[in-house]
Amino acid sequence: MILNVTFWAFSALAVFSGWRVFRADSMVRAAYWLLLSFAAVGIILVLLKAEFLGLILILMMGGEMTIMAVFMVAFMMNPAGLNPMTMVHRNSVAIVAGVVSFLAIAALGLFARFPVARAPAGVDPTRKLGVELLGNSMLVFQTAGVTLLAAMIAAIAISSARGRYGDADQGSVEPDQMVTAPAGDVAAAAAHDPAPVISPGVHQ
Amino acid sequence: MNALRVVIAVVSVGAVSVAGIYLAAWVDLLVGRAVAGLEVRPLDALSAPLRWGAATALKTRTTTERPDAETWALAPALLAALAAVGLAAVPLAPGLLAADVANGIVLFGAAMALVVVAVFLQGWSPNSPLPMIGGYRFIAEGLSYEIPLAVVLIAAALPARSLAIAPIVTSQEHLWNIVRQPLGLPLYLMAGLGLAFWGPLALPEGQDLAGGSSLETSGVSRILWRTAQLLVLVAVAAMGAAVFLGGWLGPLFPGAAWMIVKTIILLVPLIATRHFVARVPTERYVVVSWAILIPLSLLDVFIAGIQALVAAR
Repeated sequence: MILNVTFWAFSALAVFSGWRVFRADSMVRAAYWLLLSFAAVGIILVLLKAEFLGLILILMMGGEMTIMAVFMVAFMMNPAGLNPMTMVHRNSVAIVAGVVSFLAIAALGLFARFPVARAPAGVDPTRKLGVELLGNSMLVFQTAGVTLLAAMIAAIAISSARGRYGDADQGSVEPDQMVTAPAGDVAAAAAHDPAPVISPGVHQ
Repeated sequence: MNALRVVIAVVSVGAVSVAGIYLAAWVDLLVGRAVAGLEVRPLDALSAPLRWGAATALKTRTTTERPDAETWALAPALLAALAAVGLAAVPLAPGLLAADVANGIVLFGAAMALVVVAVFLQGWSPNSPLPMIGGYRFIAEGLSYEIPLAVVLIAAALPARSLAIAPIVTSQEHLWNIVRQPLGLPLYLMAGLGLAFWGPLALPEGQDLAGGSSLETSGVSRILWRTAQLLVLVAVAAMGAAVFLGGWLGPLFPGAAWMIVKTIILLVPLIATRHFVARVPTERYVVVSWAILIPLSLLDVFIAGIQALVAAR
């Protein structure tokens, strides 16, 4: 009884907050409505006895939605993310796509034949998951892990404050676009024309 | 019988929260006066948190231009709720556990990972520049404390071969984790300071931002924000006592008494850092964390792993 009420309450919360994502008028609000939706799904996973997966989902999404909010605010040129904006674009296409995917998922839920095999009692799902990740599928997950690590290091290298053209907070100095004349030519020009010569390529 | 036990556990989490917050505020005041060379009057200081609360509640509430009022009101409540969930994951005595889950360490980690959301929203929602900078600053340093915190907790769980906290406590029957994993507790406490944005790591609320993320927060919200911050420290100290100092284990006295003593032993130095250690610049903290603290925490989990392998033989 309590289990059912909890399930329906958090399902409703997940759907409601998922809808609010598209009604919010700010990237930050939208990101945290989405976090609330994910947290509700995480609690449903806990109810389904996938305790570790549910908690890990909440743990990961807290950081991920925050980073997403920061990046979206940065790309939207919307300082602080407080300025009103709309989260939906190209309404007719979006409505068709939304209705079609809802019908597809609803049809799947109604007509698909789900397995009814019950998990045997006394199984520790966390342990099973660990054996799966670090036993049979170890190579797959370790490969994915190293790939992600390489991507992370590359992203940090690209966004690092210490760049090729100096520190980012000092303002970068562009490389010379002009071919610097050999020193002899400059001296000859100076001898010909007594006006001060500003040599291209020498930063004052 | 089971329901009764849950009720007792939940009530004791509430009692520990209130007592812990009050103790933290009291110790903070006493240490502050002692360091400043003022006369320490413990009995007078006992009523000081209440006087501060009354004065703060009675002050005129300030507001800003076009804040996100709902989020602003909810951010302190979110922080308090997360700290309470973290504390609920800690067993106060054998069987006295409010959140009796098989993955207690993960529950604690999930609650603490969401603290960044509460601090960011507190800084973002007033629509004011300095709080917002504080909020963004907390995101920028987030991983610098989250990774060492998670890694040393995983190392502490290794000897128990369980993610539940009670087996981690009982696995320390012969040797506490503070001895077995000497790197664990110092790294954990440093990460805890970052998590609670307290003392040397009060970066989102630093004086260089004139108070940062809670600069514009006043009235009851301010009281709740401060108490929630102290509750984060209490939760960090309680979890540290359980996973590094053997939790309820100890001779003669009942387990709960040992747990309370050990929590206080960790809580007092955490609080006192505010008066003894200068605030660290954000950039230096992030660099030191990634270059030193995170590698050390990986070394810690490596040592714990080798010990677990040797013990399994």
